[in-house]
Amino acid sequence: MVISLNLVFDVIEYALFSVGAFRVFKLCGEKGYYALIPGKRFFVLGDLSGRDEDGRMAGVLEVVSFLLSVFDGQFGIFNGDSRLAILFSIFSFTLMIMGIVYKMRVCAGVVRMFGVSRNWMLLWFFSPGLCLVIWGYGAHYDPVNLGKDEENAKVAGYAPAKIGGIEAQTAPSRSGLYINVRKRTVQEFLKKRYLLNNIVLTIPNGSLVLLLGGSGSGKTTLINAITGYEKADATIYLNGQDLYKNYDRLKYKVGMVPQQELLRLNDTVHNTLEDAAMLRLPAEFDRKQRHDRVVEVMQNLGLEGGKDGLVSKKSGGQKKRISIGMELITDPELFILDEPDSGLDGVIARELFERLRTIADSGKIVIAITHTPDRVIDLFDKIIVLARDANRVGRLAFYGSPEEGRAFFGKPTMESIVRSVNRKEEGGEGRADEFIEKYARMVAEAAGQEDGGKEAGAPADRREEDK
Amino acid sequence: MIDSSDGKETKQINLQKRFHYRGRFEQTLIYLGKLFRMFIYQNDWKALPMAALIAGLVTFVVGQNLYVTQEGTLTGCFALVCICVWNGFFNSIQVVCRERGVIKREHRAGLHITSYIAAHMIYQACLCAAQVLITIVICRIANITFPARGLVTNSFILDLAITLFLITYAADILSLMVSCMVNNTTTAMTVMPFLLIFQLLFSGGFFELKGPVTRVSDFTVSKWGLNSLCAIGNYNKLGMVTLWNTVFKFRNIEVEGEKPLLQAIKDLEQRNMVDEIVLRSGEYNQSADYVSTAANVTNCWFHLILFIVIFAVLAVLFLEFIDKDKR
Repeated sequence: MVISLNLVFDVIEYALFSVGAFRVFKLCGEKGYYALIPGKRFFVLGDLSGRDEDGRMAGVLEVVSFLLSVFDGQFGIFNGDSRLAILFSIFSFTLMIMGIVYKMRVCAGVVRMFGVSRNWMLLWFFSPGLCLVIWGYGAHYDPVNLGKDEENAKVAGYAPAKIGGIEAQTAPSRSGLYINVRKRTVQEFLKKRYLLNNIVLTIPNGSLVLLLGGSGSGKTTLINAITGYEKADATIYLNGQDLYKNYDRLKYKVGMVPQQELLRLNDTVHNTLEDAAMLRLPAEFDRKQRHDRVVEVMQNLGLEGGKDGLVSKKSGGQKKRISIGMELITDPELFILDEPDSGLDGVIARELFERLRTIADSGKIVIAITHTPDRVIDLFDKIIVLARDANRVGRLAFYGSPEEGRAFFGKPTMESIVRSVNRKEEGGEGRADEFIEKYARMVAEAAGQEDGGKEAGAPADRREEDK
Repeated sequence: MIDSSDGKETKQINLQKRFHYRGRFEQTLIYLGKLFRMFIYQNDWKALPMAALIAGLVTFVVGQNLYVTQEGTLTGCFALVCICVWNGFFNSIQVVCRERGVIKREHRAGLHITSYIAAHMIYQACLCAAQVLITIVICRIANITFPARGLVTNSFILDLAITLFLITYAADILSLMVSCMVNNTTTAMTVMPFLLIFQLLFSGGFFELKGPVTRVSDFTVSKWGLNSLCAIGNYNKLGMVTLWNTVFKFRNIEVEGEKPLLQAIKDLEQRNMVDEIVLRSGEYNQSADYVSTAANVTNCWFHLILFIVIFAVLAVLFLEFIDKDKR
């Protein structure tokens, strides 16, 4: 039996990689046996080093290459001069190039994770297994950057932190917006990741509500869950009707203005709104009613002048108003805006929020996200503060009026409130867990629950872990 | 179910009047109107002069021997296929992915993906038809000699127009499908050259394929387009000039002080046998793929229509996943 040098090298490399990755995974708190599974080991490595997408691709390519080599061993597809063999060889070669690129990208993450010189990438190019063995078993190497910055934060979120959280105490009311997001998770390859956990509140009709929170706290995820567009494990009632169960009908009662200007720039303002009306208004509306509604919205938003001009020629503020107009066409009961003032100067932003105040005063619920809240906070009735807990899962840190919020956090401004719940690495005070627990206790006390904020294994456990 | 004030569970109350919203057909019309407006505003009209320019360049280079000799026909038909595939690809490779965010927003507001794709298909069909018309006009301007009669419709121009339309449209819907698959224009424009090369290399006519690889060509728009174009142009009945030209190149070769090839050429020319030899050599170069029958041409058209249907269905399926797009 003739054993090729290539095969010997492959087996040694596989063994080295498995042994090295086993130790590295253990150091990082992962299951060691993942190191033995082709594909999975790169996925985990990428995940740990904040290179999850590269790791996933490297893993997929490793599995495909592995299957091809098995297939070749069985049927000899790469042997001979047939065109099929040449085709497979070319395909395999292309995969090999892609595999090298993605593995090097994973390596960049691992090098950062271990805080070692990028020169190590040269050795990785020839033998990733050897690198992992050295880093895994060498006394001087530790995964120092694991999950300690924004990029590595992706590894977290696999479970909410064990701290007290708000529980649903109240039943859905017949009017207003009742939100009970028990959890919002996403499936990432083989793992479930938590984005939101336990967010319960009721917003009365006619409220203008500010949604506050640092980057990644789950603001956009929450509004997508509320609108039913990205469904969560949640119960959402809008004026007594279950939004999720009646989504097809109630989606027309919810207006959602996205953060980006998602408009066809090469269409006119009037046609943009006219098409939106055609698409969103009930077919029972005749041409005149539809036209009147479009004119009314244009008048309300100050878009009458230049209505025949192209959207691309409009200013940032006008584009925002067109975007809002598209949603206002249906006269929604719930109106949500994701950073409507981004890119607008103070005066224009103020004017925009004053229009939102007017909409809310007509009995609608308006929820807005903004990163510059203090210039318009006097217009808002309520604030919702979201914060990432220790495991970077979005939780409710406060819901109430702006004055109550200032007193609750002991801060004079909305921006300082956000700073207080932001993590220290983000320039914040890192007090998110404290306020999540405090708010949960406050709600529990208000609801007369004596055990509020004391879920099994909560604050005490966390303090133990901290020690 | 809602908890009422007296603690009992009461049935959900529908306070809203039940309206009905615009269905698929009406939505298709809305989007069709939008697309035709965009044709003017968004410079989509530039596809038409571009088609004329490309057709002009190609016919200038390969037009003279199209439908005159086998070699000229194969080269010319391949060039026509290239024009069609190129036009089709560029018509729609970016149309969906460039406004993916807008589609996602409109999908949230009740847009049916089938309506959106249907509107695009109708609009693209009009664009492709206009491009084919332009290409045929350019061919006429370039004085390309067309056969007198068609195989399927009795009009060669109509046969040609249908074939060119189906090739362009199939390529168009293929790139529409790709546009639905990818998330941004950069990826679309990266994928497009590969698709183009694949179509041209595996057309099975111009570049010789052997063995199992020939089956790959069955899955290309270009193969069925090329077969159809050659079939309607009576490829198998045309003469092959390569042999005669090769002999002519060697006419001055001397054998024992004489030039036998030159003598033979003169002899054949005096006896007016050149055309016959060219035709006879063409008979040895006939291909079953290019047999000039209505059945063969309709078979090619059927395959192109099948591709169009499959690509359109896949385009809808891919775009249905738009809600899964990451922010």
